[in-house]
Amino acid sequence: MMQSSPINLRRATLWIARLSLGGIFIYAGYAKLFLPNFIPWPLFALRLSLSTNLSNFAVQVESYKLLSPGGVSLVAHTLPFAELILGLLLLTGWQLRIWASLITLIMLGFLGVVSRAYLLHMNINCGCFATPEPLTGMTVVRDSALTAFAVVMTILAFTEARAPHPWSDPEKV
Amino acid sequence: MNRRRILAGIFSVGLLGLVALFLPSLHKTADPVLPPTQPSVQPPTETSTARAESEPPIIPAPVAEAKAVPFPIPQSTAGLSDVDPHKAFGSKNAPVTMEVFSDFQCPACKTLFTTTNRRLMDDYVSVGKVYLVHRDFPLAMHAHSRVAARYARAAAQIGKVEAVEQALYQNQEKWEQSGDVDGTVAAVLSLAEMVKVRALVKGGTLDPLIDKDFALGQTYRVNQTPTTVFHCKGQTYPYSGVMTYDTLKTFLDQLLSQR
Repeated sequence: MMQSSPINLRRATLWIARLSLGGIFIYAGYAKLFLPNFIPWPLFALRLSLSTNLSNFAVQVESYKLLSPGGVSLVAHTLPFAELILGLLLLTGWQLRIWASLITLIMLGFLGVVSRAYLLHMNINCGCFATPEPLTGMTVVRDSALTAFAVVMTILAFTEARAPHPWSDPEKV
Repeated sequence: MNRRRILAGIFSVGLLGLVALFLPSLHKTADPVLPPTQPSVQPPTETSTARAESEPPIIPAPVAEAKAVPFPIPQSTAGLSDVDPHKAFGSKNAPVTMEVFSDFQCPACKTLFTTTNRRLMDDYVSVGKVYLVHRDFPLAMHAHSRVAARYARAAAQIGKVEAVEQALYQNQEKWEQSGDVDGTVAAVLSLAEMVKVRALVKGGTLDPLIDKDFALGQTYRVNQTPTTVFHCKGQTYPYSGVMTYDTLKTFLDQLLSQR
């Protein structure tokens, strides 16, 4: 039976999750790349801005005492770009199942790392948005909520793919 | 690819962009860190296990955006305000001036000092390309940084600033736990020099100098350390955070080659 309205809870939740998580990931990537230093001109000043911002982020990654220096450098130089790209992909909704799953895995990783640091009473900055933000219980709660949201989004994405709403893909009905 | 999805994606990105442009920053910048001589909330110690949610550690928010010349800053290198000649190195007429705001208890400042200072002095300062000015910016969250700044200032006045700064940074982990800044400095100075330093520290004349540096840092919107402010040809480039020597070298070379 054709549903009379395009709005249903599953689609609405997916939309909200995509927009919010996508936006958060885009902001996280942007903050790590362009904050706190951003001098756009001349070009060499912009290069120094990016370089110092990534160095700052590397210091925050290193403070978790989990990775080797090579690992820290790899994460510091790839994660901001990965966050930006994944955020954009999530917003477009293209191949949602893949990117939602990836984002959920990343969020689970963040949650594990942050929880470990909290349980070890490490007095460090979270490094989530590259700005100095002390790692507290609220950080763990926030990351848990976002991870749960990502998990729900992934499950709904797979459910939607198996039984799409008639209005989203009429030719398949 | 579904056309509706593409349009939806473009619409979403555009909406987020508008939100980002017109809404206030998601991270409210903290109030400027008060000069340490004023009463301020003491942060919990690192050994404290009580994570009191109502008293989070005071960690200053970073500079939200570094802009060129946002404040009335003297245009010529020689016109920098309140330069302590004991903590300035190189020629005042050098084409590039670097003001480094640092905190002796800050690990990132230690990294910057140990990886770049010596080479910077040899390659740029001693040959008249860069005028280097060390500025004190003791953060309220570091219990002993102001004391360390006093000792470094006192050592500067007797011409022993480099040895003392090196000792303070190299032994940072020890004295930040024990608070024994005096012992750290005494290990690199003679008895006579240490007597002079202690007299200067107790004399009370050094705090106003530290406060002046701190106030100047606030005009640059410094709220994390290290922050390096470059001045060249009337332009100012403030950068917060650590930079490798190679990155710094590339930047300085390009600044110097500007016409």
